[in-house]
Amino acid sequence: MPHESELLAFADAAIDPAASPERARTALLACLGEEGTTDAAAVIAGFDAITRVADGSGIPLEPPKAAATADWRASLGIDAYWSMKI
Amino acid sequence: MQIAWHALSGPGVWWTGAERVEIAQETRAARACALCATRKAALSPHTVAGTHDAATGLSEPAIEAVHRIVSDPGRLSEAWYRRTTSAGLQDEAYVELLSVVAITTAVDTFDRARGAAPRALPAVLPGEPTRRRPAGAKPGLGWMPMLAPEDVTSDDPPLYSAAGRIGGNVHRALSLVPEAMMLFWDMFEAMYLPQDAMRDFGREYRAIGHAQIEMLAARVAVRNQCVY
Repeated sequence: MPHESELLAFADAAIDPAASPERARTALLACLGEEGTTDAAAVIAGFDAITRVADGSGIPLEPPKAAATADWRASLGIDAYWSMKI
Repeated sequence: MQIAWHALSGPGVWWTGAERVEIAQETRAARACALCATRKAALSPHTVAGTHDAATGLSEPAIEAVHRIVSDPGRLSEAWYRRTTSAGLQDEAYVELLSVVAITTAVDTFDRARGAAPRALPAVLPGEPTRRRPAGAKPGLGWMPMLAPEDVTSDDPPLYSAAGRIGGNVHRALSLVPEAMMLFWDMFEAMYLPQDAMRDFGREYRAIGHAQIEMLAARVAVRNQCVY
């Protein structure tokens, strides 16, 4: 994935109120420039919000999605998330 | 994003403009709340009692809802939802509150990521909530009743009319308050991708590609412990 580590570091720093995203943003700007960094910020921010919509409303995975992702969820540890246990 | 942000200032369906701006203000306060931090670090959030560091005069159940959605969304539960709403927050008001928290989160995270200061809360506009509930909303999918595409009537806002909004569960999440659902999704699709573009792998719509976008989405979902 192009610029994978820079993108992931930027996401981690952007959504952590205790972190400073300055260094990660500077690194990403060097890779992607202003437009790419802005698009990355928008995606991160949008998903910081929509995850709360999903988890705050109690919606389940659609049955076909749940069936199709069963193996991935188990292998990636997603089935260990709190919301899967209750 | 600007449209959604400024729309917070006016009356909604179940909250006044002043109350919606208070929800946005409380969203910001929750990020520095000592009780939320302690609960977040605890093995179970339900083992920690206390009082939130509130910034507004919102009711206790509203403050509890805002703070938990902000600080620990991956460990919300139906039991928590039932306790919180039975303490004095009806389903419709909770859904609109959830949409305001989500919009505030999106705007603040974007500004923070870009290195900008948090923007000023919008000036409150007068007016009364319309308090209209869609007649076709039914329980059964999530914690509160939701409006399926097949149950939308001509009296309802066209919440599923945008291309690609096919009524997946995440589209239905805010559907008990259609106006809140539309405001959130119009903003969200501008930040991510419109639904049709999401599945159009033959073309790139942003300065970052589909794969990079989905990797960022997955990373944020993991960090927030979101299964969906």
